[in-house]
Amino acid sequence: MSMAEGLQPDEFAATAVRAVTACAGLGVREQAQNLAGDGLLGIIADEEVGGLALPLGFAVPVIAAAHSGLLGFPLLETILVGRLLQSSLTRLAAAIVSGDKLATIAWQGEAIAERDGGLLLLNGSLARAPSAASVDHILVRMSGGAAALIPADAKGVVVEDAAGLDLTVPEHVVRLEKVEVPIGSILPAGTWDLLSSDANVLRAAAILGSAEACLALAQEHASTRRQFGHALSYNQAIRHALARQKLGLESIRHAITRSLSRDGGPVQRDAAFLAAVTYGSSISEGALQIHGGMGFTWDVPVHRHLRRIRTLQVQGDASGLISTFGRRYVSEVAPFAEAGA
Amino acid sequence: MSVLEAVSTQSVAGENLTGEAYRDAMHRWLHANLPASFRSDSAAFAPPTLQQSVAWEAAMYCAGLTGITWPQAYGGHGRSLREHLIANQEIGRLAMPESVNSIGKELAGPIILAVGTEEQKRRFLPAILEMRNTWCQGFSEPEAGSDLAGLRTRATQSGDGWRINGQKIWTSGAYRSQRCLVLARTGPLEDRHRGLAMFAVPLDANGVRVRTIKSIDGRESFCEVFFDEVEVAQQDAIGAPDEGWAAAIRVLEIERATNRMYRAWRFENELRHLISACKTDTALSAMVADRHYSVRLGEVAVEIEVLKAHVETAVEALASGDKIGARGSLAKLYWSESHQRFAALAIELLSQASLPQNPAIKVARRRFEAIYLAARAETIYAGTTEIQLGIIADRILQLSRGK
Repeated sequence: MSMAEGLQPDEFAATAVRAVTACAGLGVREQAQNLAGDGLLGIIADEEVGGLALPLGFAVPVIAAAHSGLLGFPLLETILVGRLLQSSLTRLAAAIVSGDKLATIAWQGEAIAERDGGLLLLNGSLARAPSAASVDHILVRMSGGAAALIPADAKGVVVEDAAGLDLTVPEHVVRLEKVEVPIGSILPAGTWDLLSSDANVLRAAAILGSAEACLALAQEHASTRRQFGHALSYNQAIRHALARQKLGLESIRHAITRSLSRDGGPVQRDAAFLAAVTYGSSISEGALQIHGGMGFTWDVPVHRHLRRIRTLQVQGDASGLISTFGRRYVSEVAPFAEAGA
Repeated sequence: MSVLEAVSTQSVAGENLTGEAYRDAMHRWLHANLPASFRSDSAAFAPPTLQQSVAWEAAMYCAGLTGITWPQAYGGHGRSLREHLIANQEIGRLAMPESVNSIGKELAGPIILAVGTEEQKRRFLPAILEMRNTWCQGFSEPEAGSDLAGLRTRATQSGDGWRINGQKIWTSGAYRSQRCLVLARTGPLEDRHRGLAMFAVPLDANGVRVRTIKSIDGRESFCEVFFDEVEVAQQDAIGAPDEGWAAAIRVLEIERATNRMYRAWRFENELRHLISACKTDTALSAMVADRHYSVRLGEVAVEIEVLKAHVETAVEALASGDKIGARGSLAKLYWSESHQRFAALAIELLSQASLPQNPAIKVARRRFEAIYLAARAETIYAGTTEIQLGIIADRILQLSRGK
């Protein structure tokens, strides 16, 4: 009997909410221990490395809760790296799942490899690496869709602060200069595509969590804030704006569900992420608008969600992906021939 | 009628077929039987006549493609909503004419199933599926469009039956229908939603007059219907006063989420047709390959995927015994607006074709210009966008109207 039998993904949402709340005010390593203690870092990793061996869908409510609660920890990356390494670097995977080692992923850029005997020397400038300054290992993309895990303190690795919208899980730039990596530790071609596909589902989940939080805040504000003698929600313009946000939110939720269904594949996963970016941005910006000046303060977390959603948009390269999505569709359709097929 | 002579009227969905075997049977029947002249993506396309549409839909029913979930006792096929979805996915994948009896199959029929008498179910439902009776919807009035509670058509008791006076408008297909599902007021106007009753009015009754209205696409598909002292038998009253309207609301909620369930797959068929046509043209094939249009086509494709997700989620919820409630408004709002965006993109692209236009472009232009015009109505009928937004705000978000 697998761990998944008898369990439902939503059962992990409550656990995740509690864990996220408990992480408030803690450093990154303490957060890792907390999250690992609740089984959340290894939720999709094999039992051999201490994970729960659950399908990706079980990580969706966890990630959504983490982002709804503005968790300051690279949870999405940790969950993915823990599973990615479970077959090739088992001990390290176990250390990540247990929270003893921290890992992240540089989502943008590609390391250039040159061979030096039994070693590869990696060079390049990579970016969009959440919390890279606080972790022990960084996964980087290589040519051909391969990937390499690099110790953050290895010779030739420089992690720099980067400008970025997300202040809760700040991004970093990673510069590599002749960083030595054993050839045997390179994760094979195709790794990155699989990783990205799973990441897109989890990014959609992250945006769903933030968007839910934003809509709840906007709804609350619209119902309690009074202007011109009425609650804001008395006005049709506000009611319809919130209704559109609700449509967007449910669109994200349904797209994620479909991406994880029996019929779900890479197309549905990409679609879930792209839909989440479109509607999540709109929901968070709309919530900011409804809050007026209050939305710009640090008393109301709407703009922090907006920052995260826009950051996730770039980490998943939504601009490139939507173009690829369209091109893929176009390439699959043959020139018109008389109906009959 | 000659184009339909070869159409099979045999059922292809044996009771034992399930899942992919059921899908395969539906797929094969449709591809073997749909005449090329009915396909709007064909150069041979010629809009079917009313008689041809009736014969085609009757054949679809015999094959097991309509009346899928209706009880067998009333002519239906007694299958599940999930199987209804499978059949509709296959219907959507072909550029097939819209039903001329969608009101019968997707509005009147379900309402009669919900609140009709046993006699009404046996009298009306098989006739709808066999296409012996086509129905239209008599809800909107000149003074009551979105606000049906303001309707003024009056039903007064007359002997054992009812007498109806008033006027309906935007009644699609009334000129070709045998029955009209009429919503009429039995009490004073101030009663608003109370005292509304539904009737299955025969359109050949004395005192009924139908006048067609020329619409945006040049066709005369919707109508005004005038009722002047029209006598309606008690046996044609659908449910008791109040009950009929309350049932209609429940049915409308479900129908809003599930009617023409094939839409997402039809939109996909349209998108594939658009791209395939563009690829036959030098200028357009370069355009659909460039970044600008690949992004915009990608956005359409994403919206189609999301629409599929809305439909499948609604089906799963209903199949699991959940109530869909006001959530039907989410799907309606989504498909109507996304289809308008898609249709606008399609005609924008096709208008940039090289000259002289090749036959494939001509076929596509004919189809998409019709779709573009028809799509403008999609945010109006079955509850306008503004009505859907209001429903979502009121009943899903439950936003306060407090002063």
